[in-house]
Amino acid sequence: MNRVVFSITLQQVAGKRRTLFIGLFALIPVVLAVLVRTAGANVEHEQWAAEGLFPVVIIGALLPLAALIFGTAVLGSEFEEGTAVYLLTKPIPRRAIVLPKLIVAWLATGVVLLLTGSIAGMVALAGTGDMQIALGFTIATVIGALAYSALFVMLSVLTSHALIVGLGYVFLWEGVVTGLFTGTRILSIREYTLAIGDMLSGTPDVLFQAHLSETGAIVGLVAVVGLATWFAIAQLERWEITAGG
Amino acid sequence: MSAAPSPDGARPASGTIELVNASRWYGNIVAVNDISFALGPGVTGLLGPNGAGKTTILHMLAGFLRPSNGNVLVLGEPAWRNVGMYRRVGLVQEREAVYEFLSGHDFVATSARLHGLPDPDDAAARAIDAVEMSEFAGRATGTYSKGMKQRIKVAAAIVHEPEVLLLDEPFNGMDPRQRLHMMDLLRGMAKAGKTIVFSSHILEEVERLAENVLVIVMGRLAASGDFRAIRKLMTGRPHTFTVRSSDNRALASAFIADPSVYGVDLDGSEALVVRTKELSAFALAAPRIAKEHQIRIVELRPTDESLESVFSYLVKQ
Repeated sequence: MNRVVFSITLQQVAGKRRTLFIGLFALIPVVLAVLVRTAGANVEHEQWAAEGLFPVVIIGALLPLAALIFGTAVLGSEFEEGTAVYLLTKPIPRRAIVLPKLIVAWLATGVVLLLTGSIAGMVALAGTGDMQIALGFTIATVIGALAYSALFVMLSVLTSHALIVGLGYVFLWEGVVTGLFTGTRILSIREYTLAIGDMLSGTPDVLFQAHLSETGAIVGLVAVVGLATWFAIAQLERWEITAGG
Repeated sequence: MSAAPSPDGARPASGTIELVNASRWYGNIVAVNDISFALGPGVTGLLGPNGAGKTTILHMLAGFLRPSNGNVLVLGEPAWRNVGMYRRVGLVQEREAVYEFLSGHDFVATSARLHGLPDPDDAAARAIDAVEMSEFAGRATGTYSKGMKQRIKVAAAIVHEPEVLLLDEPFNGMDPRQRLHMMDLLRGMAKAGKTIVFSSHILEEVERLAENVLVIVMGRLAASGDFRAIRKLMTGRPHTFTVRSSDNRALASAFIADPSVYGVDLDGSEALVVRTKELSAFALAAPRIAKEHQIRIVELRPTDESLESVFSYLVKQ
């Protein structure tokens, strides 16, 4: 991995206003967990964690949005601001640009999810003696973050509207289409993540049951990460500057 | 420079940079139209109005645009999708794009590291010194003025001592002293055997720096070669002036008698349109003639002096 590109990208991400936005957004699951613990006396804590907190709030909303923000920023902002040319005029293979950027996007998303998932999970499940749900689903979100990051990095090489296309994927495809047409769930990173979370947390079926098999989810995740990364590298190799003159 | 477009489309003599019948279009828009030239070491200016195709040519040379037709060769190899070429080529783009969180030194040293230079900090210090930015090297580039950003970008582009340096409007934002210094730097590089190609829409910049000129108009190579010959073509072209006076008709007959004027039209009763090929002579003669005939000139302005019109004239030639 190219450490120079990694270091620049890390500094870029750290200095962005959108990182602060995601940091604030990541507090929502924690605040919700606190509210449910303090106000919801009749709520079954394991059930709420397995049905609501992790699948809906964290995996359904925070994970794709954080990955979208970081995934489209690491390379997309270089194109927007014109600094991409600075990197692309160096005698380094394009994979030495894409891979460090993908890793930074994954790390940034992963750290946010790891912190939020751990803290919100501990608050939601405190006193129940069953932290496996929180642990399993949190690890799953970090794994899912890699697939989302790869997809959004690829989108940022393909289009200058990666953020909009990514939002379309998250809210229309994963939010609406996969709910209406169950066959499309095999093309959903959210479903892969939920299946991995189900497997790692060992949640009883009465509390949560994923739509996809573990094998299907693993194959899906590997395919998304592999294909999206390969395609991003291939696209960057034939990238053309847009400004005329 | 071996100039350029041969009517039969024959391959020009080889140089460090070659365009062979190169075209580039975007959908139905032709940005560069069947251009051929070959350049060797020295400073070459790409001159033309905005939107003429200069940047497209530079981007094709830098490997960032695939020619729609023809070939673009740099140092004997196709520029498109040739990552290895960047060991020997530097590019300074027009956009004011720098990593604003990095200091000037770190920005250039990062470039040196990405080039795999053995002592990146030392190479960065030398490049920064060459563009006279040592004093400001510790400051974040985000705090730089436009001219300072331009100079630090040049330092980043020359840190690996490239054989070919491509610059897109490099003097934008620089004050006159910085311009002169940058011109000296580029001349020095050219003397050391480097091939420098820069674009500009400002005639004087090209005149002061470039030994060779390629005039690009509407995507075509309008003229190429020694600047003085092109300059002569430009200054020898007909000029037109619009003149308003207290007695247009009397002034018209007085003007036509002067050898510097070869045509006068009465534009209704409002104004005269005067045509001359001797700009300086007419500029001296006009007030003298008016005074002799006791006519008061209210307005005298060149009607067709835009750079675009100058270039269009060259195309017609």
